[in-house]
Amino acid sequence: MNLLASKDNLIRWLDLLLHEHVVIAPVRVQGLTLFQPISKAEEVDLDFDNTTLPPKGWFLPPTETLFSVQRNDGQTKLVPAMVERDALIFGVRPCDARGIALMDKPLLQEPSDALYRERHARTVLVGLSCRQARPECFCTSMGSAPNDASYVDILLTEIEVGYIVQVTSKKGKMLLPESFTEYEGVLPTPPEPRAVPIKDVMPAMKGLFDDTYWERLADRCLHCSICAYVCPTCYCFDVRDYSDRGNIERVRSWESCQSSGFTRIAGGYNPRATKGSRLKQRFYHKLLYFPEQFQDIACVGCGRCIKACPVNIDIREIIDDLQQLEAKSGA
Amino acid sequence: MGLENPFLPYLATIKSTVELTPDVKLLRVELEDAAIRGSFDYKPGQFAFLSAFGEGEAPFGIVSLPRHQDDLEFAVRQIGTVTRALHELEPGDTLGVRGPFGNYFPLEDYAGKNMVIIGGGIGMAPLRPVINKILEQRDNYGNLLVINGARTPQDLVFRPEFQTWMEAPRTQLELTVDRGDEHWGGRVALVPDVLRELAPSPDNAIAIICGPPIMIHFTLAVLKGLGFKDDQIVTTLEAKMKCGLGKCARCNVGDKYVCQDGPVFTLEQISQFLEQP
Repeated sequence: MNLLASKDNLIRWLDLLLHEHVVIAPVRVQGLTLFQPISKAEEVDLDFDNTTLPPKGWFLPPTETLFSVQRNDGQTKLVPAMVERDALIFGVRPCDARGIALMDKPLLQEPSDALYRERHARTVLVGLSCRQARPECFCTSMGSAPNDASYVDILLTEIEVGYIVQVTSKKGKMLLPESFTEYEGVLPTPPEPRAVPIKDVMPAMKGLFDDTYWERLADRCLHCSICAYVCPTCYCFDVRDYSDRGNIERVRSWESCQSSGFTRIAGGYNPRATKGSRLKQRFYHKLLYFPEQFQDIACVGCGRCIKACPVNIDIREIIDDLQQLEAKSGA
Repeated sequence: MGLENPFLPYLATIKSTVELTPDVKLLRVELEDAAIRGSFDYKPGQFAFLSAFGEGEAPFGIVSLPRHQDDLEFAVRQIGTVTRALHELEPGDTLGVRGPFGNYFPLEDYAGKNMVIIGGGIGMAPLRPVINKILEQRDNYGNLLVINGARTPQDLVFRPEFQTWMEAPRTQLELTVDRGDEHWGGRVALVPDVLRELAPSPDNAIAIICGPPIMIHFTLAVLKGLGFKDDQIVTTLEAKMKCGLGKCARCNVGDKYVCQDGPVFTLEQISQFLEQP
């Protein structure tokens, strides 16, 4: 049974949640919509198409300490970092929630990533259906949908009189207030994002590793890595030590396969020395290697990389090109 | 309560260091916790991360053989910031060890086979425990040919062991350098050329190869010319690694992660998605 929350009740519910949770919600900041911790419900801006960045940083922070090194009287002690907060992320789009589910596959696979796992276990996701598709959206081709409730604990869908509330998990159920009433109406028809046929891309890619396509495509790439930065499924990271006046910390931070240092080993050898080989890695990892390993394409169709790329590299075109190229060479 | 954090290394102590070449040191390392020391089991080909706290962590093949001694041995070439810090460690100093990681050379599967082992420079490090394991169980294997190349005679990493290797039954050790010196009476030639000249038969043979990418590239061509098939050629890949857990994706090659699925691969397993040097 679905519930209905009036807009006022939703605000009151959010204020209630703030007593017991760190609530992270879309906030308008200097023209961007970003997930940020809020202190009162009025700060939330639910009038957005999608947030500028996905919420992945609340699971895998852009930078985090893994452990610190303490030295006393010649004795060394390693102190692991801890996750201290329960969090509720409010207003997550279904595609981005699927992004978290996809990151789970490598990061929760044994031996699981302890900090990610802990943060995940202590986070509730309240989703928000999309009432319109952006021009760059293609979620339905990537295993999700504008009204997909599969990867959130609660899904809200805006209608004229308020929000329809679908509860999909025990975690979600425990958070509901009594003020929500039963809703017996139908769910609104979701928008239809553009379709990107992808059926033949995996077999096509197996034959295109040495194709000149990649260097040609990469000619205009600036290797700025914005595509990885905004991607809800990119999870590659770097680990380094930072020391400051005797305090030593081992720190993890986001890293992108588009940076030339990503695979360069000490001494200078780089197995992916060209932009083409690096751009190729991005798409092989997302469209072939990840599905081979985990059965899902590592893309949710949010279209952020398409919107953000300064030189208009478009994953939808690439998916199409690869299938065309292979069809041509096979003919 | 602490999470069991797979990024947390074991604490260890430097027992001794030996200068193997002008830029390679053998580090003998003892894990501090006796229980962990007792259960730390590994096989030739596996690796561990060494931490020089404050500088960082990098992966190294374990060059000792398990159960011979409690100490772990690593041959570390000074080539970057972490290895420079590791070279500065002295007996008694603390470092971190995380591992063992990765797969290993399936030496049991090679019983009865002729072994061709080809190493260049510090690429000999992961091959040393392979050679020593074969020599330890000499009767289990056919002929053993070791080709070891280096830039100069001084850069041949395991010189103190050459005599033992040379004197072992049915074992041939061929040394070669890019540039000789006044004491060098041996070969001055590139590894692929030495291999072509010696022309070991591919019949019932396995070739294991490790070295700089360019050496591997040209040596593979010679091996194929001699008739070695992709499933008879085994290599251990060097790759940038940060986690050892198959997560950071730095060492991703095809659907494989060098840190988890490797570092030991047959050419058959990886040739499709390797970039050419």
